[in-house]
Amino acid sequence: MTKNPSEAPPIVSLSYKKGDLIIKEGDYGVSIYKILDGEVSVYREAEGEEIPLATLGTGDIFGERAFLNRADKTRSTSVRAMEDTKVEVWHTARLSREYDEIPPIIKYVIDQVMSRSIRMNNLIVQLTTKQQKEKALREKEDPMASKRRFYRKKVDLSCRYRPVSATSKFNLDGRIKDISLDGLALKVMRRNTIDVSHETGDIFIINTVLPNKKDVELEAEVVSVQQSQMPDDLEVSMLITDISAGSKKSLGFFLMP
Amino acid sequence: MDVGSLLSAYMADQETYKSGDVIIEEGTKGDWVYIVLEGQVKVTKRTAVGMLTIDVLKKGSIFGEMALFGKALQARSASVIAADGDVRVGVFETRQLIEDYESLSLELRSVIKALIMGLKESNEKAAALVVAANEKGPKN
Repeated sequence: MTKNPSEAPPIVSLSYKKGDLIIKEGDYGVSIYKILDGEVSVYREAEGEEIPLATLGTGDIFGERAFLNRADKTRSTSVRAMEDTKVEVWHTARLSREYDEIPPIIKYVIDQVMSRSIRMNNLIVQLTTKQQKEKALREKEDPMASKRRFYRKKVDLSCRYRPVSATSKFNLDGRIKDISLDGLALKVMRRNTIDVSHETGDIFIINTVLPNKKDVELEAEVVSVQQSQMPDDLEVSMLITDISAGSKKSLGFFLMP
Repeated sequence: MDVGSLLSAYMADQETYKSGDVIIEEGTKGDWVYIVLEGQVKVTKRTAVGMLTIDVLKKGSIFGEMALFGKALQARSASVIAADGDVRVGVFETRQLIEDYESLSLELRSVIKALIMGLKESNEKAAALVVAANEKGPKN
């Protein structure tokens, strides 16, 4: 301990193990941390979930908000070490005295930025919680949903398909059960697979007519093959690998809600 | 010192805009700091799903604050657009503001910078979340 702790106490450095909590939301505290080495995640908790707000690395500073916020000295977020992390802890007595005397205009700017920053973090928490709920709901209804980027429409369209290497005269029959701009689910008879491989990675050319009478041709790759509810049928999940501009446009129109 | 007179001492100019006018354009360089004096402005970002409004700033709000860090600065990170009727903004004497800022200790400056850069990152994150929500398509 120094004799006069109010005069620039020594900077302390601390080490945290991966996973350690460094700052806990709601706690009182005004120390400022600078990352000497490592990575931390800044997050807030909402409805039992950790909502990530930012990832910070070597050289970055955190904990500044409780210091700069004159109205609220509790931590507005939690911070956790994402890998072994070494931080420098600034005791803020001296900085605090300097802060009291900075030009009022700078203080005003800081206060305004602070309230925008709080509002933005609230928005991020809101959007993330909403999306997590929707995702949980979708996954309950359809386990594959989270892997998809686009809205998938349930359909029942007969189609003809062939391996990409086959001639256009060779065709198998199938039914498209749902389709989006980046993938589809194809129901096929098990016997189709006797002569033609339907394995992950196989590529097929698929032709169909949409309910709006538009012809669509596309190339798609098998992602997975599953037993359908009917013993003679298989369900093939596919990712679209190639589609002409015209077909894409027709499909896009058809998929519009 | 009351805020009004404090601010006016630093004000270089006042500008008025009509609803829809662009005050700051994302991607351009600029070194003015502004304050909303009358009306409201929108903070918008360009994204894959079009122009997104991520915040609305009311009277008294500051924007363009990154100009504090001086001329070496990168381009504006968001657009600011007059949102509501006639908008009047004050333009600060940036040089003076920068001088004030640079008179602070290096530590205090790095603390303030962390706050301001954090806001910029939060803006980006919020925009990205809205984009992600839109790509998943309509709710059933």
